[in-house]
Amino acid sequence: MTELASEPVPDRDVSMTVNGRACRVRCEDRHLLVEVLREQLRLKGTHAGCLNGDCGACTVELDGQPIKSCLVLAAAADGAEITTLEGVAQGGELDSVQQAFWDNDGFQCGFCLPGQIFATRWLLARDTDPADAVIREALAGNICRCTGYQSIVESVRAAAAGLRGEVTPG
Amino acid sequence: MIRTALRHHAPTELAEAVALLNTHAERAAVLGGGTMLVPRLTRGEVDLDHVIDLRRLGFGVATVAADSVHIGATVTYAQLLAASAFPGTAQLLQRVAGGITGGPQIRCQGTICGSAAYANPSTEVPAALVALDATMHLHGPSGARTTPAAAFFLDAYRVDLRRGELLTGVTVAARAARLGYYKLKLAEGSWPIATAVAVLPPAGAGYTGAVVTLGAISTRPIRLDLAPVLDDAGRLPSDVDDWVAAQIGDPWDDELAPGGYRRMVAGVVLRRALHRGLEENR
Repeated sequence: MTELASEPVPDRDVSMTVNGRACRVRCEDRHLLVEVLREQLRLKGTHAGCLNGDCGACTVELDGQPIKSCLVLAAAADGAEITTLEGVAQGGELDSVQQAFWDNDGFQCGFCLPGQIFATRWLLARDTDPADAVIREALAGNICRCTGYQSIVESVRAAAAGLRGEVTPG
Repeated sequence: MIRTALRHHAPTELAEAVALLNTHAERAAVLGGGTMLVPRLTRGEVDLDHVIDLRRLGFGVATVAADSVHIGATVTYAQLLAASAFPGTAQLLQRVAGGITGGPQIRCQGTICGSAAYANPSTEVPAALVALDATMHLHGPSGARTTPAAAFFLDAYRVDLRRGELLTGVTVAARAARLGYYKLKLAEGSWPIATAVAVLPPAGAGYTGAVVTLGAISTRPIRLDLAPVLDDAGRLPSDVDDWVAAQIGDPWDDELAPGGYRRMVAGVVLRRALHRGLEENR
């Protein structure tokens, strides 16, 4: 194994647009996108959980698609457009999916929220009236350590109803 | 974090990618979607100095023709699902893509070709490609070559890629046949324990050439010609599970299930795939 102490570690400048703002960061080639977002850009809404692609806590949107940022080398995201959880709310107001999670106790401790929110956005952009089985399948890439899955499913259901113009009890 | 002094290469020419792979050989790996390689680097399971990222080589396109589908090396499962319905038997790849474990995030990152090149026995892709008689497109220092999927998968985590070669895409024929697909897994977040793909002649054309390909059961996909066991009405004998079990010499054993369990359920998943092939195509 080529260790840090014995060899210079390759590094580079990486340019990205993060939450609508162009930025340039110096990072090592081996750095994960989640590490750069959290440690260099100080965007702590993206959580580092399993670092194995299982838990979904590090989810961001990369070029409009939800991805797990622990599975991406930051160098591979050069030129990408990224939205983190901090970029979802606009003008200090929760967006409709976040609001539905807030109203239905979907937030819980908040650790798994990046995955739950971005997976929900992905689902509802394609299906505004998903069956519960479809909702659960769409959320399958996220692990809630509070085990608050039922509240999360109800939150997605409420967000979908809101998109359809229906009012649901919060 | 990744502890090796890794260098990320993003070549824009295929020749450059091949040269990098050939030069660095066992110190390098190809980066497709990254869903397997990157966590393995993080866990320290692979010791590499170089990753060769394919995403700037123009392999992110799926081309659909009337009689075939070609899928480039960096086409994600989500791209397959967003495409219009594939013709004929090629639609199996969209069914497989829709069932990939890990939710939309993994489907937006993972690729059919990456799964094929990694050749984890506990995945559905190798058996799907063998069932469809896929052609694997490879490129290396000697140029381009192709090989059938059945010859590509050599063993667990071992494929027919020579030094400096990479998988640039797969092509599957879109045949007019009945298709049945069944996957056994014990939880939504689990990898498959067993898969079966039944490819049957069109309704009314008899059962000559009926084949089931089993995945995740052994180190390589197992292709079974059903002609010896199917009767003229498409029925299986009552002891077919024993016949299927006898075809599995060395079942795959991992943390999901012991080999003995996989051998035991092989007949069940075969029957369910066959049933779906018959019932869904009436």
